[in-house]
Amino acid sequence: MARVASPCTDPVVLDMWHPISAAAEIKPGRVHTTRLLGSPVSYTLDGDGQPVVWRADPALRPGMPVDAARITERLPVIDRFCFIWTSYGDPPDRLFSIPEFDESDRRTFAAASIGVHTSAPRAVENFLDMGHFPYVHTGILGVEPHTEVVEYDVDITEDNEVLATRCLFYQPLAALAATKGQMTEYTYRVPHPYVAMLYKTAPPDPSRLDAIAIFVQAVTEEQIVAHNFLCMVDHTNTDSELKIFQQKIFGQDKPIIENQMPRRLPLAPRAETPIRADKSSITYRRWLSDLGITYGVVPEAA
Amino acid sequence: MTWHPVASSADLTYRTTYHAQISGRELVAWRADDDAVNLWENRCLHRGSRLTLGINDGAELMCRYHGWRYANRTAGCTYIPAHPADAPARSVCNRTYPVAERYGLVWGSVEPQDSGQAGPPAVDLLEAGAPTPLRPIVVNAPPAKVADALAGYRFQPSAAVTQHPGAAADWRSYRSPVGEWDVATVERDDLRVTLRAADGDDETHVVLWVQPVDAHRSVIRGVLDARPPAPSRLAVLRHHNHLLSRLRDRVEEQAALEPMPEPIQVEIVPVTVELSGMPELGAGRRAPLRVRVARKWSAAADVAGFELEPVGSPLPGFQAGAHIDVHLPNGLVRQYSLTNGPGESDCYRIGVKLEPESSGGSVCLHETVREGDVLAISEPRNNFTLSRASERTVLLAGGIGITPLLSMAQTLRQSGLAFEMHVFVRDRRFLPFGELVSSCGDSVVEHLGLSPQRTTEEIGRILGEHTLSAQLYVCGPAPMIEATSGIADELGWPEESVHFEYFANPNEIDDSTAFDVALARSGLTLRVESAQTVLEALRAHDIDMPSSCEQGACGTCLASVLEGEILHQDVYLSRSERAAGDRMLTCVSRATSDRLVLDL
Amino acid sequence: MIKLYNYELSANCYKQRLFLSILGLDYEAVTIEFFPGMEHKSEAFLEINPLGHIPVLDDDGFMVRDAHAILIYLAARYDPSGRWYPTSDPELLAKTAQWLLFCEGTTSTASAARLHDSLHYDFDIDAVRAGAHRLFRVADEHLWFAEQEGYDWLVPTDHPTIADLALFPDVILSEEGGVSRQDYPALHRWTDRVKRIDGFTPMPGVFFAAPARA
Repeated sequence: MARVASPCTDPVVLDMWHPISAAAEIKPGRVHTTRLLGSPVSYTLDGDGQPVVWRADPALRPGMPVDAARITERLPVIDRFCFIWTSYGDPPDRLFSIPEFDESDRRTFAAASIGVHTSAPRAVENFLDMGHFPYVHTGILGVEPHTEVVEYDVDITEDNEVLATRCLFYQPLAALAATKGQMTEYTYRVPHPYVAMLYKTAPPDPSRLDAIAIFVQAVTEEQIVAHNFLCMVDHTNTDSELKIFQQKIFGQDKPIIENQMPRRLPLAPRAETPIRADKSSITYRRWLSDLGITYGVVPEAA
Repeated sequence: MTWHPVASSADLTYRTTYHAQISGRELVAWRADDDAVNLWENRCLHRGSRLTLGINDGAELMCRYHGWRYANRTAGCTYIPAHPADAPARSVCNRTYPVAERYGLVWGSVEPQDSGQAGPPAVDLLEAGAPTPLRPIVVNAPPAKVADALAGYRFQPSAAVTQHPGAAADWRSYRSPVGEWDVATVERDDLRVTLRAADGDDETHVVLWVQPVDAHRSVIRGVLDARPPAPSRLAVLRHHNHLLSRLRDRVEEQAALEPMPEPIQVEIVPVTVELSGMPELGAGRRAPLRVRVARKWSAAADVAGFELEPVGSPLPGFQAGAHIDVHLPNGLVRQYSLTNGPGESDCYRIGVKLEPESSGGSVCLHETVREGDVLAISEPRNNFTLSRASERTVLLAGGIGITPLLSMAQTLRQSGLAFEMHVFVRDRRFLPFGELVSSCGDSVVEHLGLSPQRTTEEIGRILGEHTLSAQLYVCGPAPMIEATSGIADELGWPEESVHFEYFANPNEIDDSTAFDVALARSGLTLRVESAQTVLEALRAHDIDMPSSCEQGACGTCLASVLEGEILHQDVYLSRSERAAGDRMLTCVSRATSDRLVLDL
Repeated sequence: MIKLYNYELSANCYKQRLFLSILGLDYEAVTIEFFPGMEHKSEAFLEINPLGHIPVLDDDGFMVRDAHAILIYLAARYDPSGRWYPTSDPELLAKTAQWLLFCEGTTSTASAARLHDSLHYDFDIDAVRAGAHRLFRVADEHLWFAEQEGYDWLVPTDHPTIADLALFPDVILSEEGGVSRQDYPALHRWTDRVKRIDGFTPMPGVFFAAPARA
């Protein structure tokens, strides 16, 4: 347990951007504290509403008022896709892109940040998986006997992202705005080792795609906060309804991913038994290996 | 091999799972409806999900995550719902551990099966009476410390235990009078203590085992040597529960003062190299349709009927006599005739005879496939076509061979055409689809329990001399088809009026030769090596060729031959068709010349 | 029409949904965005419940708050058998009340641990987990002896009571708060029995039981 909770030393992970809070949930001028990669980190909004993040100081306890101007030792921060991102190392200049985020008629918001007893890569892998829909999201995202996962394509893109396309699965109730069963086409994307996104047909306008993501904050190797992000074309449901729907789906996944052993994602091919439906997760595992990620995984050599 | 108790037998109720653990290794224990107890690694091989979360349906344990099912006893994976078509032609089997029930406890071992002691320890004291397990007591302390403390456990013999102290008037003065009770240690091992309590003539033995759950976690599992008499049974159980709980409190208090040891890290046993790779996309026989087993029933003593409903698109039409390929969860592909009547295309119905000696197709369908499962099947193909333009139609069925003929009988009946159907079975219990057979009315004659000799005589009597345009359809075991062909020939039935369908090709296939196959239309020449079939050579060059049984019985992979001498090894073509030398079944037949030219 | 102000992922609100489903009552579920919107603390909701808690039940204008009070109300009003809240038998009634109060303890320990781990509530996590284990030990021992005496439920009668429904969510969701149930096999078997009550309904994080043996 001690090993699992100790501060991260993985240089690749330390240099990445990590989400720590929905921007809308930060009270200006108050100390907020969370844990990231085994270490406590604090944040607030300054007088201009700009986020400020620093390594937690025991003297500045959560809830206390703080003058952000007096925080001099700051961590890098960006405010993007409704969340605050930080890094302990030397992060890239820019975060990955979500082009749909900038479409003016979309509703974009944080759906919920939920703590889960698992590793970041396990949560990402579950997000890419369709085969569990009839068993875990019964009657909503899948239903027996429509259990088949048909062949789909997976690639590593030029931007070095995992991309799965032509993913088809039968859905009795594909989204809140859906009323009857249909084959739904998904596109899955892993633009960052701890981020997974899906695109699927927006029921009100079949030519456009709703985008849903989880931005995973690795609290420790085996404890995460899954930040749910929605970028929707849907205009029939309120934000609150969409959030609750997303929370319900995630709440169904939660006991499953909390009961995968080991909690860290094993990267050795012989750790588990893949089938063709797992093409995207096989690609994701290899991609993590190639990136040299060791935090939240059981590395191949181990 | 060291055995440890992991549960009380009573903990393993039907249709539930139990989370066991030995020295850090998590196990799932579950009792099947046939009372077999299973003790497995608590991980689904697929994605590491704990199987304790799964569903024990009495015969199999289903993982909650993706619905993979593992069979009672063997832990073999029987069904992977994500891939009804390209079922893994590899055997996926979870790790099982030795398990046994003894003295009301469930025992297991996490050591290799081949080392030493074959069963849990035998305790003479517990062999005689009715050993009675106590309520297990979990202790957050190292197993060795718990065992040490148990050596000082003091209790009363069962007969002396009367009632709960709270009921007494002087309850305030109650103490566990441990010092006053006469208890002796009979035996002491690492993780076992046997104690005897005596009070006058009353004597009770208790054997206490410590289950080593983890470095800092133990369970005390005690067994009394005899069942306490009924009126005080609960009082005795409470007596021990109370005293062991206090003992636990003391041990936990002590243990809390010492540094807590790290939990034991157990190694996850890797899967085989074969299982670690992603299976290739299934090539060869196509199975474009998905069906759900809507009903499975006993259609005769050794025949299971299956009603297959479409999943997604509606089922294609079919002709009487048609068969489908069924792709089974164990990777095998088998052919079954449709028994449907004309126009019944809302579902397909097939009958599967249990052949325990065969390679496992029928066993899989009988034992593993169940209602609700999704199967991949081919479109129906018909190589056993029914002619309507005949004055006399004779259908001759041997046992399960009745299935295509039933479809024909219903078709003829529907069209108001006369026919005779003769069914040969051992006795009525073995008559498949008895109700459906009866519904065909007076046209059906059942022949029960005839010897081969009598069967032959009877067939001769039935056929009689060939009359103009009379047609004969035979389906049954190979000897019956062969005998019938011979009789028909003798009675002057022309070859083209005798139609037959074999279940299987009884011939031994010679695949020792090597030769070239030229494809006239593709302009390709392929080499067919020994131990390779023409069909395989075609597929290796991406030439599309339908196939079904792949043993020379069904006729699906028929190809026209333009040049060359054919070595026919099938049971599909008739004598004259073979003699014509212009067609062959690419799955079994070969060349006697160096070269064949096919119209492909 | 019965109206239930509730939140999908709340263990406390699940108690009502479960009982309404078992009683076969139609109701309107009004979703309160407990998280992240904190709608239960909104000015509008404080008019409905000044304590700022969910669930709240509105039965045609009659308002009642607090999970266990709502269970009592529903049983008293809508269970003609009188067995879910056995008011006619003083001993069974007392035992039911006793276990309902026990559930106040599991709510403030096991469910608090879940709120801490999932929704970032500020509790002393080690203390609430230890408290949950203490109570689970008591419940497991009680249910083990109940089984020995031939009873399936918390209260010694052949029918479940609202106490079983009040305890079930706190127990079945405990692992989300890092409280394992591995050491409580009798409690585990009892959760399977609750899942087999006619009309049982799950919530996110809760699964159906295997079909019972014929």
